Amino acid sequence: MADEEAALSPPLSHRRDPIKSSVHNTAAHRRRQQAIAVGKERRESLIRAKRLCRDTVIDGSESPFEGDMIIDEEKEALDSKTSQTVLELKSAIAFQGKGATQKKVEILRVLRRLLSQSEVPPIEAALQAGAVPLLVQCLSFGSSDEQLLEAAWCLTNIAAGEPEHTKSLLPSLPMLIAHLGEKSSTPVAEQCAWAVGNVAGEGEELRNILLAQGALFPLARLMMSNKGSTSRTSSWALSNLIKGPDPKAANELIRVDGLLDAIVWHLKKADDELATEVAWVIVYLSALSEKATSLLVKSDVVRLLVGRLVASESLQMLIPVLRSLGNLVASDSYMIDVVLIVGHTITDELLSGLIKCLKSEHRVLKKEASWVLSNIAAGSLEHKRLIYSSEATPLLINFLSSAPFDIRKEAAFTLGNLCVAPPKNNEQPGIIVVHLVSLIDSGCLPGFLNLIRSADIESARLGLQFLELVMRGLPNGEGPKLVEREDGIEAMERFQFHENEEMRNMANTLVDKYFGEDYGLE
Amino acid sequence: MEMESGSMETREEGSKLGLGFPYWIPSRRRFKPDDLFFAAGNTERELLAKHVALDLTEDERYQLQKMEVAGANTVFCPIAGCGARLDYLEDFEDHYRTRHTASCSVCFRVYPTSRLLSIHVSEAHDSFFQAKVARGYPMYECLVESCGVKLKSYKSRQQHLVDKHKFPTTFEFYKKARPSKHRREKNQRKQALYKSEETKEKYMDVDEKTQKKMHQIYKPKQPKEAKETEMEVEEKIDDLVSAVSKLSTSDSSPSSVSFGHRHARGFAFVPRSIRQSRKQVSQPEAQG
Repeated sequence: MADEEAALSPPLSHRRDPIKSSVHNTAAHRRRQQAIAVGKERRESLIRAKRLCRDTVIDGSESPFEGDMIIDEEKEALDSKTSQTVLELKSAIAFQGKGATQKKVEILRVLRRLLSQSEVPPIEAALQAGAVPLLVQCLSFGSSDEQLLEAAWCLTNIAAGEPEHTKSLLPSLPMLIAHLGEKSSTPVAEQCAWAVGNVAGEGEELRNILLAQGALFPLARLMMSNKGSTSRTSSWALSNLIKGPDPKAANELIRVDGLLDAIVWHLKKADDELATEVAWVIVYLSALSEKATSLLVKSDVVRLLVGRLVASESLQMLIPVLRSLGNLVASDSYMIDVVLIVGHTITDELLSGLIKCLKSEHRVLKKEASWVLSNIAAGSLEHKRLIYSSEATPLLINFLSSAPFDIRKEAAFTLGNLCVAPPKNNEQPGIIVVHLVSLIDSGCLPGFLNLIRSADIESARLGLQFLELVMRGLPNGEGPKLVEREDGIEAMERFQFHENEEMRNMANTLVDKYFGEDYGLE
Repeated sequence: MEMESGSMETREEGSKLGLGFPYWIPSRRRFKPDDLFFAAGNTERELLAKHVALDLTEDERYQLQKMEVAGANTVFCPIAGCGARLDYLEDFEDHYRTRHTASCSVCFRVYPTSRLLSIHVSEAHDSFFQAKVARGYPMYECLVESCGVKLKSYKSRQQHLVDKHKFPTTFEFYKKARPSKHRREKNQRKQALYKSEETKEKYMDVDEKTQKKMHQIYKPKQPKEAKETEMEVEEKIDDLVSAVSKLSTSDSSPSSVSFGHRHARGFAFVPRSIRQSRKQVSQPEAQG
């Protein structure tokens, strides 16, 4: 297969030219570009960790809102209405006379509706008209609950926008945090928690400010609330607040009195929505805080998480539950050594929960479940036997050959771990020949060779390590022959001009050892 | 990716054993919450929370997937000197097959660039090349494209690669060939049949090892026709070699083996100059 083309064109030449639009159709082109831009903005807003508050928070006291979503409003009309409302708010605040309070609340309500019922809330317009300082004033101590609620709601939705929008809430943070306190009415505290959650979802810098201003403790307290929506909103806000990457918030949270009990309680009793948000808190606790992890693994949380994993069919719930368990298994050997003893019910249940995820149609579940399995497969001999003889193995073998790349990699880790005995100090790890032979017979080798051929260094490394197992471990010298048959030598020799020295050495070492001069000589 | 510190040590220990190969050691893997590993799950969380997951069109889903790993999908070809940017990992295999499998029509060895292929062809199959070498011209090009240096012997080029370009000392442009069982048997039969003193004589001046290598050919999968061609090629090259050998006086003293993998192996051609100099190890190098 000769390469006829000229040697090594620069990387840019690999790009195809963008589709050129007709010069005669610039207007249509511009509209299309605009549509793409809007689409992109919409997509970005979809994956933000911030949430717009559209529904009423107060039960029953709010009349069903006039009309539905304001969808067909032209942007300009919406913006000018918003600016106007903010100006009215300004005068209302300045006005000292009779009915001032009522007037303020009415205007706030109008503003709140503009910010919550439009498809694209006119945040920019509100900010430019100077909404934030006015809203901060509306949050002053002694204001009516209604006023506090409306003001906090407006701030919530302003904070749900782009980074610049969220940052504009800085002056309001102390007041918002203050109203999280136990003296506040629950709906007010809840709405403030929502606003704080949006701010925390923006980024590390804002999270640090919130933490410095003492947002953590009151949110934790709210999480223990009896009111479902309150504990749910606070849990969500907490998960945003502690997500790091600095572990200090997570460490602080686990030290809050009664927090672990509250987590256990919610996992036991709560509905799916609340349990989901609590599970996310566990995700971040287990990923960031060693203290939290060591407490969690010894508590009832593990059993409850496994229960949810097995019972739930909701993707929304399964993701954080699975990941929490994954984090716990990965971080603390206590899980494999003490909790997940082979033969115990909890272990069997976890396994069946993981297998359920492997069989799911959702990519995330397949991948993260494979990851959890790979870590369990790094455990004791019994663990390996357990997984090996379960339904998981054929599913993973299938993944290895046909799943998307990231899932294939996790499957590879698991299958390889099944073939290698637990490491003893200073000894070359032993091969579990029975498992290895069986996996090879089931057609694993091509999948590993594909990993070797991929451009991802970690996968290539993994593949080469597996190849070494095959060539060392298969009885009767079958290994090298098999590798040769599957074009393994070609795959290894690709590394001769690889830029990574370790890869070159690994591959060359294998080729030299197993396909040297003596290869094939009887 | 983070490893448990305990197993990290074990992994490094592993590389000290035996050949220095980092053996597979099972260990738990842990990821930070903001690791790319979790990106897909995080996105899914936000979509589900906004109740839009079901409303998304195929295209939007696809765009979102792209967005969440934006930049991380980009892969740079790791073949030294290429650095081509590929937008998706999946594209790599195609890229590799298109750009890095230049194969020699004489001996079927495969090289990652056409330049290296042409260097190989000159050095291994071109009698004029050998003639010039014999006359003292610096013919052995540095394998690093931008370098431009030419050396007078295989070995001195090798040294240059190690000294100037930090190639590993074990690197060989011209590698030992490996026999397949079929080929060995064929060779053994051939040897028995065509036991010609003269032919043997020419090769007598090399050590036994090299002789064994000469007749050892590695061939994984090969169509039958190619085998026939190889035989003819073998004989042609034998003739060439003998012709060239009459010209050469100086030698080069290269090390023994090569690189370059072959989909279908041909005869392991070892240039006369290489074979000669193996014997004359004590002789001073012509120039390097």
